[in-house]
Amino acid sequence: MPFEPPGRGLKEEDLERNNVLTVAYQPMAKYAWATGVAIGRFLNGLKAGEILGTKCDSCGRIAVPPRIFCEWCFKRTGTWLKLPDTGTVNTFSISYIATDTTRQKTPTIPAVIEIDSAGHAGFLHIIGEAKPDDVRIGMHVKAVWADPEKRKGSITDIRYFKPHK
Amino acid sequence: MMTDSNTVEGDFPVHFRYTAGLAGEKFLREIKDNGRLIAARCNSCQLNYIPPRIYCERCMSKLEEYVPVENSGVVQSYTICTQDNEGKQLPEPVNIAFVRFPSAHGGLIHKTKEEVCVGDRVRAVFKNKSGRTGSILDIEYFEKIP
Repeated sequence: MPFEPPGRGLKEEDLERNNVLTVAYQPMAKYAWATGVAIGRFLNGLKAGEILGTKCDSCGRIAVPPRIFCEWCFKRTGTWLKLPDTGTVNTFSISYIATDTTRQKTPTIPAVIEIDSAGHAGFLHIIGEAKPDDVRIGMHVKAVWADPEKRKGSITDIRYFKPHK
Repeated sequence: MMTDSNTVEGDFPVHFRYTAGLAGEKFLREIKDNGRLIAARCNSCQLNYIPPRIYCERCMSKLEEYVPVENSGVVQSYTICTQDNEGKQLPEPVNIAFVRFPSAHGGLIHKTKEEVCVGDRVRAVFKNKSGRTGSILDIEYFEKIP
């Protein structure tokens, strides 16, 4: 006789119609994340409307977001640089699903932006003022900043990156 | 959300909906409908599992027979909680005990009406039938048997 596992599958309607007993629970999952020295300074830079990076005095590699050491040569990265707020799309995605897994009509376009003059260093952000079909790898973009009084020292102090010639 | 540039604060919006499973559902419905505790019987191991489960954890046989369990038992272990599960101070301490039952294997963790000690005999006090929802909290608490 073939093995028949016990139990039964549940459908959404079983839950909606209370066909089975359930316990609903929402854990308090708050966190506080310490930024560290380099990211702390980076975020303060964003508040001031600047993208800061670090340059390794030994190998010349630029890190943005900045690091306190170079992971190539394990030297302290001594020189802080003010970098331009323009860059190039390294990769991107078109997401119709929000962070809470709900569907959204207008997609979010997350992209890794290589900051100009920083080698291939860059960070993840979102693309705005562009149709999903128009976004391309290699596209040149520029940061759109939040109003100075609204900046909080957060990555969202840059609202998004928009296409830029 | 930022407080200052040295700390980033946030939270995960996580929602759970937990089902009790086949045996757990039977157990909770028996409490809700009849105000009774039941256990799953393994005839080959001569054990009555409380809370019931669908397999015997000793011989792995499928359990389909349910037997009533008396609603009084013995405190095996206890604790007194002064904080809720978010770490906030409770207005009143809550007594929690692990209660074993003479005829069953396992036991239940629940609130007790008053402070208890290991070895105290306690009994389940059920909510009024109209107030039961099919939850373990349909047992109001366990109280000491004088």
